[in-house]
Amino acid sequence: MKSLRRLFTRLSNSVARHEQEERLREEIAEHIALQTDANLRAGLSPAEARRQAMLKFGGVEAMKQDYRAERGLLLLENLLQDFCFALRSLRRTPGLTAFACITLAVGIGMVAATFSMVDALVFRPYPVPHSSNVVALAGTTHDGSLEEFSYREYRDIRDKTTSYDGVIAYANMQEVGFSADPGAAPRVRGGMMVSGNYFRVLGVEPHLGRGFREDEDQVLGRDAVVVLGPDFWKHEFAGNPAVLGSKVRLNGTEFTVIGVAPDSFPGLLVFGRPDFYVPLAMARAFSTNAEKNFFEDRDDRELRVQARLKAGVTLLQARNELAVLAKNFELEYPNLNRTRGAAVYTRFQQRTLEDDNWKFGVIFVTLALAVLLVACTNVAGLLLSRARARTREIAVRLALGAARSRLIRLLLTESLLLACLGGLGGSGVGYGIIAWFHSKQSIVFMTDLPIGVPFAMDKRVLLVCIALSALSALLCGFAPALQSTRTDLVNGLKSADVDMPGPKRLWGRSLLVVSQVSTSLMLLTASFLMARNFERSMLSSAGFAKDHLLISGFDPRLEQYTAAQTKQFYKLLIERVRETPGVQSATLMHSVPLGQEGIDAVAFVPEGFQMPLDRANFSSAMDSVDEAYFDTIGISVLHGRCFLASDAADTPRVAIVNEQFARHYWPNADPVGKHIRIDNAAGVPLEIVGVAPTIKYQNTRERPMDMVYVPLAQHPLSRMTLMVRSRDDPLQLIQPLKDIVRTLDANLPMFETRPYEDLYLNNAVRGPQIAVDLVGAMGAAGLVLTIAGLYGLVAYNVSRRTREIGIRMALGARPSSVLRLVMGKGLVLVGIGTIFGLIMGFGVERAMNAMLFDAGYVDLVAYLIVVPSLLAATMLAAYIPARRASHISPTEALRYE
Amino acid sequence: MAPKQKTDVLQGTLALMVLKTLDVLGSLHGYGVARRIEQISGGLLSVNQGTLYPVLLKLEQEGAISSEWGASENNRRARYYRLTREGRKQLQVETHDWEQTAAIIARFFKANAEDLT
Repeated sequence: MKSLRRLFTRLSNSVARHEQEERLREEIAEHIALQTDANLRAGLSPAEARRQAMLKFGGVEAMKQDYRAERGLLLLENLLQDFCFALRSLRRTPGLTAFACITLAVGIGMVAATFSMVDALVFRPYPVPHSSNVVALAGTTHDGSLEEFSYREYRDIRDKTTSYDGVIAYANMQEVGFSADPGAAPRVRGGMMVSGNYFRVLGVEPHLGRGFREDEDQVLGRDAVVVLGPDFWKHEFAGNPAVLGSKVRLNGTEFTVIGVAPDSFPGLLVFGRPDFYVPLAMARAFSTNAEKNFFEDRDDRELRVQARLKAGVTLLQARNELAVLAKNFELEYPNLNRTRGAAVYTRFQQRTLEDDNWKFGVIFVTLALAVLLVACTNVAGLLLSRARARTREIAVRLALGAARSRLIRLLLTESLLLACLGGLGGSGVGYGIIAWFHSKQSIVFMTDLPIGVPFAMDKRVLLVCIALSALSALLCGFAPALQSTRTDLVNGLKSADVDMPGPKRLWGRSLLVVSQVSTSLMLLTASFLMARNFERSMLSSAGFAKDHLLISGFDPRLEQYTAAQTKQFYKLLIERVRETPGVQSATLMHSVPLGQEGIDAVAFVPEGFQMPLDRANFSSAMDSVDEAYFDTIGISVLHGRCFLASDAADTPRVAIVNEQFARHYWPNADPVGKHIRIDNAAGVPLEIVGVAPTIKYQNTRERPMDMVYVPLAQHPLSRMTLMVRSRDDPLQLIQPLKDIVRTLDANLPMFETRPYEDLYLNNAVRGPQIAVDLVGAMGAAGLVLTIAGLYGLVAYNVSRRTREIGIRMALGARPSSVLRLVMGKGLVLVGIGTIFGLIMGFGVERAMNAMLFDAGYVDLVAYLIVVPSLLAATMLAAYIPARRASHISPTEALRYE
Repeated sequence: MAPKQKTDVLQGTLALMVLKTLDVLGSLHGYGVARRIEQISGGLLSVNQGTLYPVLLKLEQEGAISSEWGASENNRRARYYRLTREGRKQLQVETHDWEQTAAIIARFFKANAEDLT
């Protein structure tokens, strides 16, 4: 208690230092005056009385020191002193300070922004309490990809496992027709089916009302209740609490609003923020696969399953338990579960296995760290030059008895201050970059669904900023501090312009330049490779026409159409669109090439193909299209025939495959006339009637993939996209199209109506462009910093050797030999840096190929562009100060100092 | 390390002397305390008077004494120190401790070789 009180008093004393100092001075004066008076009374002369009084009092300064040490916190005061000193000395060189801060800010900001990506994609915990024991359960297939579970499988897992405190299931977010009142036309919103225990197991307390009860997903179709997402509630219902108990229509079915999810819970998905949640038992209105019975078919796999581990249960135990269960599934349902396992994944595993966006993030972070490294070496170089200018000051301090550790602390305080300012600026830069991402959001995600960029400048990213600042303070401050306190005192005091000769001192700077050149070469290579790869993938996707096309999506199931009604709707729709003036052709397809919805898959057995023993079937992407598809999209069937209007539901079933598929299964034979059987060897046979060229289906950097087209008439689906080829501007067709749809069904929503070119540009061009821009900016930042660093080095050398150069010239050296003298070293360093940079560049290329592009060869052109430009730029940076040196007038140089 | 230990002991005893002085004489300024200690110790304790001030400050920060400005004998401003209730308690405890320690040490010094067998 006492020491605590003392600490507080000391703390406050440290602040009110001046007042205290005054009090002590006054007390000492009074003490000595009283003693002098006493001495006078004892008969001493006035001068002697005062002298004796002073003697008796003792050393005033030593006492003051004790007093101060007693009064305040010495360490804190020293730190404060160092801080003030650092502030003053930084203010004396505003240019250097500003440059160092900006340099560090750029580096730190880039790392912060890119880290926020990786954080959002991989590391950020689920937004639920005790999120660390929430795990993901997934089916595994023979090729190692993760799969969802069916409703039946989910129930078995939930009931037969003992490792968890609760097992939840949810379907992916899907398009749902929503209307607040029955009369209004439904609009497309993103909804999610969840199990009844979803909110309870996750520990999410609703903001309003209640979450689902466990029994609300037990009886099929009984409990039409809905919980709203927080954003949706605010936008659609203006945050009105009276929404509880009101009725809304979802896909034409009436639901009662029972609750609103809290702001803190945007759902478990990385990108999607569901507008509302409904119980799984209401799946009739939502299930995406019309051919399967969601509640009965064990192979209607639409559900993602997650669970909360019981305390004390390890991941391994849970994994073993689930593996046994999956084995039982396989024994019990050999047809449906052959070679199908199941595993438990941590959040990290789930997110990294599920998709590969995070790989971009990792590459970005790595490159940004390289930029930060270049920035730090630059600042270190600056501080080194400054240390030289301060040789005398440091020597004086050392001579007066300052401890070396104290001086290092002082100098480190300076770099820490610089780094803090840099970190502050860096969080600003990071915030700016993230804001830029957000401004590009509508480009990256061109969709009606509530999907957004999840990157944010949150607490975690700020923490990273702070850590980076401290790290860069050490990186750029430690070496200069060590070096400048290792001064030779005698020489240091004699002359201001002492530079320790010998290789040791310059070795550090040379290392800085080499690492800068190599790092920036690597950065430039990476950004060039990325740009060229995207360019190449875009060129290779030009397998079909993209202009003069209008697309629009429909899903009559949202209006509870029967299969016959759906068929009739599409028949009328396509007939009327084709009659519309300005329309050249029109087609219906399930998935748009390079669109954002997933592509359907089909399991099949190819005829005359020796199946591997462990495989019951193969799978391939599949699309249902009508007979005008190939003409409209501008792909000509290479071989065989197109679909015809005569390929109807009651005629023999046919298919068209792409070249990749043909090469895959019949490498040496003509696929036309061959058959594939759906699901297994006993399934329905499809005759292959044509071969289409391989195009890009999901994204422009995908590898060539198998594709099977089937006629729409033989594989009717509810969710279709209409694609219209226009003679003129496709935008002019939007209104006529709307009119046609209104005459057919005024309530049916149209999804994602836009020119196909927009979609294509967004998905294939502008999205990648953002990545290219980002990496390009990093490359440019690295290059600029390197040029500045090299310029600084050569300029520093010139200023250090001004006198020497003057003497050389006075003795008859020609400007060209001076130029060579000064530039020589810089160029050697650049050369060494280039070699290292090339090695690192090849490494990065390999890494990028392995992770993303798979170009399969070394992109020599990139190096041919990057290396000479880097060399030219760095040579220029060395040339300018060197030229200045060669123009030094000998008389002036010798007068210097 | 050795000299430092010495001052530590000195500082400890000095603090106790300051407390006792203020207990006996009431409110007093720094010079007064120094003179009193000098008188009592009969000049045996020859410390620099200045060392008193850090001790006074420490005691004040611990709350054992308080201080305020007042007028000195020659009518100038002087800082007067006074024992607080807490200081009085501290003095009692420390006096007791000191007496105990002194008694033990004294017994040790008096003890003869025969007494220990």
